[in-house]
Amino acid sequence: MTIAVKRVPIKARKRLQTLMHDYFLNLDAAATDSNRNVAWCTSVGPCEILTAFGYEVYFPENHGAMLGARKISHECIPAAVAIGYSAESCSYMTSDIGSALSGVSPLTEAFGISGPPKPDLLCYNTNQCREVQDWWNFFGRRHNAPVMGIGPPTHLDLVTEAHTDFVRNELSQLITRIESQTGTKMDWAKLEEAVDKSSKASSLWRKVLDTAQSHPSPITFFDGLIHMAPVILMRGSQHAIDYYTLLLAEMNERTNAKEAAVTNERFRIYWDGMPVWPKVREMSEKFFDLGLCVAASTYCNSWAFEEYTGGDPLAWMAKTSTKIFINRDETFKQKFLLDMCKQFDIDGMIFHNARTCPNNTNSRFGMAQRLRDESGLPVLVFDGDLSDVRFFSTAQTMTNIETFVEQLEGRCR
Amino acid sequence: MRENLFIGIDVGSSATKCVILDNTGTWLGHHVVSSGVNYADAIDTVVSHALLQAEGSKKDIAYCVSTGYGRKHVTFSDRFVTEITAHARGAREWNPSVRNIIDIGGQDTKYIRIDDNGQLIDYRMNAKCAAGTGTFLESIAVKLGMTLSELDELALKSTAPTLVNSYCTVFAGTEVIERIKEGQSPEDIAMGLFHSIASRVKEMIPCSVETVGVTGGVVEHCRALVIALEEALSGAIIEAPMPQHAGAYGAALLALESNPIFESKVDHA
Ligand code: SF4
Repeated sequence: MTIAVKRVPIKARKRLQTLMHDYFLNLDAAATDSNRNVAWCTSVGPCEILTAFGYEVYFPENHGAMLGARKISHECIPAAVAIGYSAESCSYMTSDIGSALSGVSPLTEAFGISGPPKPDLLCYNTNQCREVQDWWNFFGRRHNAPVMGIGPPTHLDLVTEAHTDFVRNELSQLITRIESQTGTKMDWAKLEEAVDKSSKASSLWRKVLDTAQSHPSPITFFDGLIHMAPVILMRGSQHAIDYYTLLLAEMNERTNAKEAAVTNERFRIYWDGMPVWPKVREMSEKFFDLGLCVAASTYCNSWAFEEYTGGDPLAWMAKTSTKIFINRDETFKQKFLLDMCKQFDIDGMIFHNARTCPNNTNSRFGMAQRLRDESGLPVLVFDGDLSDVRFFSTAQTMTNIETFVEQLEGRCR
Repeated sequence: MRENLFIGIDVGSSATKCVILDNTGTWLGHHVVSSGVNYADAIDTVVSHALLQAEGSKKDIAYCVSTGYGRKHVTFSDRFVTEITAHARGAREWNPSVRNIIDIGGQDTKYIRIDDNGQLIDYRMNAKCAAGTGTFLESIAVKLGMTLSELDELALKSTAPTLVNSYCTVFAGTEVIERIKEGQSPEDIAMGLFHSIASRVKEMIPCSVETVGVTGGVVEHCRALVIALEEALSGAIIEAPMPQHAGAYGAALLALESNPIFESKVDHA
């Protein structure tokens, strides 16, 4: 007899829904209030500077993810392609540009607002990729708003003082540019406060993710995709700290009660790269049914920065910008992943080759095979994309995943 | 009338295959039909024909394993396995020395690596498009107004195969038309298409691999492909005796190994 197993929902999600609702409504109000300003920022910052200048900060990548998760991307991408943005370039970018061109936004259904808030400034960080710069430039032209940003050195093995000094200098120059643009002086006390809050939220988020080290894990990658929103959208604010304090308490309770995220946790998986947003639900259900618990990922960890212990806030920002996983070379990444597999007691690794994001894909230069040889763990690489489902075959991917389970089972015999 | 039949059904995107074994592993029957659009019909047809050959009936089925893209459509299956596991099992039974297998099917091409105990170590599927699969050949054959077997026959007469560069079925079709316009012989162009598949297959196999077992419907029906593969892989290929049935055979063997005598049986009648 098969007993239907049920997922135990994470209670904090209710609080998250309210937070998200308030966040977007506040942004929408700020965009129409001539006394308030909105800045668009990359998910990896430098949002603390914008917060310190008094901007309400909006993150277009989150909109890209929502377009994917709500299965709207495919309607939007053609409009961007038609004006010259390649269908093979970042599908967050093409779906977001297409969404603006076609006037469709998931924010309408989710929060009752017409779409993203109009920007007064757009600020990027190319430590993750160059695409964001071109993406921001599109909207800068469209809204006649200034676009500025930083370009840290990328693909680093060791991060040296020379690297962080360079980025610190870039951040300083960025502040000067914003000062001359707005005629307002940077409020350094506010910057310290924002950095301190960012760091606190980020440390709590890391602790939440670390609860997945226990057996069974109380949380999976698929939960992380939902609950990581505040550490991106609200870091630098007390809301994110309060939220992760609540979530961490719940995760600790679940750990103590041996409440599993995947009720029949059979195998523990490391997930590399981005989610396939339009298929997250299907995949999460498939993994659940197969007893696969994605206990570790570098994607959810991207916003788990190191602690700020006071002192120069720009130095902390420079360090987080250069040390972040996506910004590192393959030697660093390989070692990082091996350590992660040990820490989280991983049975197998799944690499998502996201066709339109080479930057967040780590299977293109033989790393999956090298990791398999070094760790002895089975490795699966599947083709897909973060938002553009035309690059994804459900049947083929599900067969790949089922075979992976057969392979894992074979190793247990 | 027989008892204890072990049945493997491979419901592929192009063809549905069935193999029946007795409790000693002896092959009693098999059948293949095009999958068409109604999997239930295709499954019914292969099972009844194979049972007829095996001189058995549905109630004699002791255990059924289904595999392939449409495996979940076999309503009476006792166990579902992926086509990768099934092909690995079938190919290994035919040749126990096989450690690397390439299966070239209608919709996808798979590379499978197993260890000395038959355990899966590595596998890969073609990237999500027709390149390197039977569909690639079929689409171009249609464009040229012939069947796949006619394309194969034509290719076998080639003396100097043409190079077909494009991975994309549509672009390869255009390339073929360009070659025809240039006056290249249809035989050489046809063989060029098989070489194009072989070179895609080669990309899936690590060069340290010495011999490769080949399975799949396209291998069974296209001699030109076997020749192209031999050339691409420097002659290191071992062709399965009934390549198209490797998956169904593997599934039947897995059914036998599931030792149903001690398991509760579902009602197959
Ligand atoms: S990292 Fe990838 S998904 Fe994110 S913005 Fe850059 S290209 Fe797009």
